[in-house]
Amino acid sequence: MNRRYLLRKLATLLVTLYATVTFNFLLFHVLPGSPVQLMARSGHMDAAARNQLVKFFGLNHSVFVQYLIYLRNMLHGQLGFSYVYRTPVTSVLAPAIGNTVLLLGAATVVTVVVGVALGVYSASRARTLTDATITVATLGAWSMPDFFTGMILIFGAAAWIHFLPISGISTPGLATGLLGHWWDVARHLILPALTLALVNVAQFSLITRNAVVETMVEDFVLTARAKGVGRRVVIVRHALRNALLPIVTAASLYVGMILGGAIQVETVFSWPGMGLLIYNSVEQRDYPVLEGCFLLFAIAVIATNFFADLLYHALDPRVRRT
Amino acid sequence: MSQLPDVTPPGEFEVGVSQRDLWSSLWHDKMGRAGVIVLAVVLVLIGLGPVLFPFNPYAFGSSSGSLMQAPSRADWFGTTELGQNVFREFLVGGRISLYVGVTATLIAIVLGAGLGLVSGYYAGWRDTVLMRITDFVLVLPTLPLIIVLAALFGQNVIITSLVIGLTSWPQTARIIRSQVLSLRERPLIQRIRSLGANDSRIMFRHILPNVAPLIFANLALVLSGAILAQAALAFLGLGDPVQVSWGTMLHNAFDAGAMSLGAWWYFIPPGLGIVAMTLGFALIGNSMERVLNPRLKAQR
Amino acid sequence: MILLEINDVSIDYRTEHGTLRAVDHVSLHVDRGESVGIAGESGCGKTTLGLAVPLLLAQNATVATGSITLDGTSLVGLSEKQMDPLRWTKVAFVFQGAMNALNPVQRIDRQILEAITTHETSIDAGVAHKRVLDLLDSVGIAPARASSYPHEFSGGMRQRVMIAMSLACRPKLLIADEPTTALDVISQAQILSLLNQLRRAEDLSLILISHDLAAIKRVCDRVVVMYAGVVVESGLTAEIFGTSTTAPSAAHPYTQSLIAAHPDLHGQRVLAEGLSGHPPDLSQVIVGCRFADRCPHVMDVCQRVEPTLVTIAPGHVAACHLVDGEAS
Repeated sequence: MNRRYLLRKLATLLVTLYATVTFNFLLFHVLPGSPVQLMARSGHMDAAARNQLVKFFGLNHSVFVQYLIYLRNMLHGQLGFSYVYRTPVTSVLAPAIGNTVLLLGAATVVTVVVGVALGVYSASRARTLTDATITVATLGAWSMPDFFTGMILIFGAAAWIHFLPISGISTPGLATGLLGHWWDVARHLILPALTLALVNVAQFSLITRNAVVETMVEDFVLTARAKGVGRRVVIVRHALRNALLPIVTAASLYVGMILGGAIQVETVFSWPGMGLLIYNSVEQRDYPVLEGCFLLFAIAVIATNFFADLLYHALDPRVRRT
Repeated sequence: MSQLPDVTPPGEFEVGVSQRDLWSSLWHDKMGRAGVIVLAVVLVLIGLGPVLFPFNPYAFGSSSGSLMQAPSRADWFGTTELGQNVFREFLVGGRISLYVGVTATLIAIVLGAGLGLVSGYYAGWRDTVLMRITDFVLVLPTLPLIIVLAALFGQNVIITSLVIGLTSWPQTARIIRSQVLSLRERPLIQRIRSLGANDSRIMFRHILPNVAPLIFANLALVLSGAILAQAALAFLGLGDPVQVSWGTMLHNAFDAGAMSLGAWWYFIPPGLGIVAMTLGFALIGNSMERVLNPRLKAQR
Repeated sequence: MILLEINDVSIDYRTEHGTLRAVDHVSLHVDRGESVGIAGESGCGKTTLGLAVPLLLAQNATVATGSITLDGTSLVGLSEKQMDPLRWTKVAFVFQGAMNALNPVQRIDRQILEAITTHETSIDAGVAHKRVLDLLDSVGIAPARASSYPHEFSGGMRQRVMIAMSLACRPKLLIADEPTTALDVISQAQILSLLNQLRRAEDLSLILISHDLAAIKRVCDRVVVMYAGVVVESGLTAEIFGTSTTAPSAAHPYTQSLIAAHPDLHGQRVLAEGLSGHPPDLSQVIVGCRFADRCPHVMDVCQRVEPTLVTIAPGHVAACHLVDGEAS
């Protein structure tokens, strides 16, 4: 990999991270009505808590100094204190992150595999009834809000399929060993992951279908056909391989979307991840936790975009020169 | 919130498609026509519904006076846990969803198209600065950002529309900018510029009409995204507490445990309402996109 | 010995606005070792005709009438599966504008290798690779560049790669569609002399589709001139276009205007003459000669009766009322 390219991308990454942290600061600490200011000025906090707040954020200094203190805290991994739990935000976030990653990971695997396969199939049958049907079905799935899909699945599970748990990550009070625990979690994972996957499969399928269809009208695809390599090779080795490029580009938008979906799905299924944390912290006005979650989500998107860029670079030899 | 993907390389849209062409091919395209019909049905329902079925909004106990009842002749869609008539809630709730969706979209389109126009036309440093800003906003995850903004700034309909609009414009800006960038190289535009025509005149009289079809296609897709965003916000409890929307109905249904209780009549109608409205606009937008980019029709 | 026989072929395109007949009852043949040029302006149907042979037409195009026979095998109506083994081994195609005709994410040696291994499944890897290098060498590309990507080559080199690739399975017939159009003059000359060379070395039959008469003159034994989907004239290149010593004997006014628009660099100094107007809309029904409204020698009968091909001299046919005796 070209070192200059990597360095340039890293530089962009750092700048974006910095901009995001600054944006966060402005949003939560500076704008009129921002919670920290309100909290500090209201009479609802006891002296000890208020002092802690003032000390931590440097509220008796100017905005600019507050900003520097904020940056320093950030670099030390200090994200503040939860109003509700009275513990550092980081300790509230830590367990939630793992659960969300598990959920997203499972959903993503299904989404990508099924979505791309469906998209390729749809593209290979382009302009036929099959293609139109799949496109309408996927548009329909895309039009369903994640939480609504979840509610329908819960309804179905509660009414008919009693095997699948509809809430939480594990059965409370269940006494089994490690393997049993994992199996329990897996059972709980099925419905939420399925819900997330259903909506996003539509997204991937549409992206793939459009990308492959666009690639199929390129000259080199005709060349491949003329060589007599056979339909499957034409579609996979020539069309799809080149279509991967716009797919990877479009897929970097996917992360932002699936995070939004995760919030809804975790809320509906009471899955104890970052999404549920956001929901609860909004309800309980626990702004530090909300701020921490948002920051983490933003960083996740930025990091994913960074890796997607690298992946694109690896896939497209034309870009490698720069 | 989910945004329908735009995979087509920028600048490859057919410039020659006029507005009239766009709307007529929409009707001729089967999917576009289906979208228009679905949308028409939904709009008629929420527009005329409360007129045709004037239920007393302040009556809590409905004619049957019962709670969480399945649909019956008295209450067509059954009742909620508070005894409200679900059908009436359904008819009224759609309005807010549509209102917020439309307002947010208008904000997003005006902002996005405006920025895209300026950025693409002037190019140079203005373009670079605007694009950096656009890229930054794009990086922020949409629904989390909307949630945070709503939590910080309030939950009424205006603010919600503003918040959703402010997070949806980057997609439009990029598409319009690409198109404008390629348009400004065309001989006609260059000729007019060399004649000394005023910049804003060129932008509005010559370039804007050419990108108008593109704006409409994008508008439909942004609108469906906005409706989903509003629904999600309302579901998470951040909708306007005074006005009932479909998302709020789903929030209430969830809180009341409708799914586990098997009260399908409570959450299916508002959910399907959201799906129908979103799907209608998505089909229309998708169809328009295919008219503007014939490559998607796959002629080989 | 006839290698390719296109007999009375018509090709229709189904569009949103109706059916369009791009090629109308065209016949031509190519003998073993012969090279035939198909000349005409854009839209006359020559590319469509060329694509029809390996059955590479778009999905909305069909061969409505006639037959295409290659080396004894009838091609029209074959399925993709049936046609695949014949592609590249019997007939290969070099596409117009190799800018995009090569897979941008695959190294060129692998692309040529793919052609070989698809059709010769049991070939030894080392032997195949050597053949790839030999092919590239025969078009003047050094072995060191074999593992480069298409974008690392210039336009002329990419076209040469395409030609090398087209010969990978030693086809009997090579169809080249405007192989020199997108290139600079020097590359054009190189490609054309390369084609001549390869033709003689491999005993290859060639169909050269081009609107560039100079290219056809240089490479082709015979020429078929097409206009608006029909053949208007055909015969020996030397006869029709003339040589440095003999005058052209083109009979059809369209051919004559084509020649007038391409003054010979080495011949007399004449002004190039263009032809005003444009070809007819093929989705409409055409009565009479298709060239009538642009023809400088148009007569009454031309507007009413479509001329058919008549023999003017041995091996030279033309479809024009000026020569078929209809005018009287």
